[in-house]
Amino acid sequence: MGAALAVDPPVAAPVVDDQALIAAALAGHGEAFGELVARYQRAVYNLAVRTLRDRTEAEDATQEAFMRAYRALGSFRPGAKFSTWIFTICYRACCDRLAKRKRMSGDEPADWADPAAGPEALAERNDEARRLRAAIDQLPEKYRTVVTLYHLQGKQYEEIATVLNLPLGTVKTHLFRAKEQLRKALTL
Amino acid sequence: MMYDDDALDRALAALPLEEPPAGLHARIMAATVDAPVPAAALPGWELWLIAILSSLALWLAWLFVTTPHAVERLTFAIDRIVEAGGLSSASTLLWVAIGVSAAWWVTQISVPQPQHAQKIRPR
Repeated sequence: MGAALAVDPPVAAPVVDDQALIAAALAGHGEAFGELVARYQRAVYNLAVRTLRDRTEAEDATQEAFMRAYRALGSFRPGAKFSTWIFTICYRACCDRLAKRKRMSGDEPADWADPAAGPEALAERNDEARRLRAAIDQLPEKYRTVVTLYHLQGKQYEEIATVLNLPLGTVKTHLFRAKEQLRKALTL
Repeated sequence: MMYDDDALDRALAALPLEEPPAGLHARIMAATVDAPVPAAALPGWELWLIAILSSLALWLAWLFVTTPHAVERLTFAIDRIVEAGGLSSASTLLWVAIGVSAAWWVTQISVPQPQHAQKIRPR
């Protein structure tokens, strides 16, 4: 009886790298693409939230980015980093939305009223993370995106330059200026 | 609080990522892997043109079938055209050109398929 109830010790699932998942997705295994979505949706969503400063639109942009990636999966260059690729696609989707927003209303909103700020969030308004997040949201879009990619997602300069299609020096300058503005905003 | 470079870097590194909405994964999967493969994605005007040409072809076929002695009449008409040197007349050449153009256009119709549909089997 006891033997029948015995449970095998849990075996750690082998970690499959992104390249293998892409190959599996191209071979028709939809769950492999699902795993890629699970791995990157959080980071992609955060990039979209910080770039667009609108959670509903960020959710749509994230979905759009993965849809574009899925359609173009066959053109993904073997050896390239999936994260860089999906961030690039997401950033372009966000730029399209920002351009459309600018056409419709003239400019992006100067101040972002955080719709997710519930009672708990309001209570910790003075917290360091809260202040920092607010300061990032006040940065111009180009600085905001660089800071998001560099610090929130641990990207390297070269990858940021690829994602944003900017020269390496410009990325470094943007980051330097963004940090200067953050420092000023936080020490006020 | 004063922020030097290191303090700012530490604060940024410690900033937690926001959680995406609960249904986002399902939404993405529904729009990609689980989405039905679209049939033909032709522009509206091409669909209309195909419908008109098909109707015309059906009508001509119906005329041909229901006309008594259709084969003989057609042969006679062709003979008359050839005998009258109709192929040298401008109107005949115009109609021939239109026919050839239409045939060429039909060969150029492309039915785009999504790239993933060719490589990923539907589940």
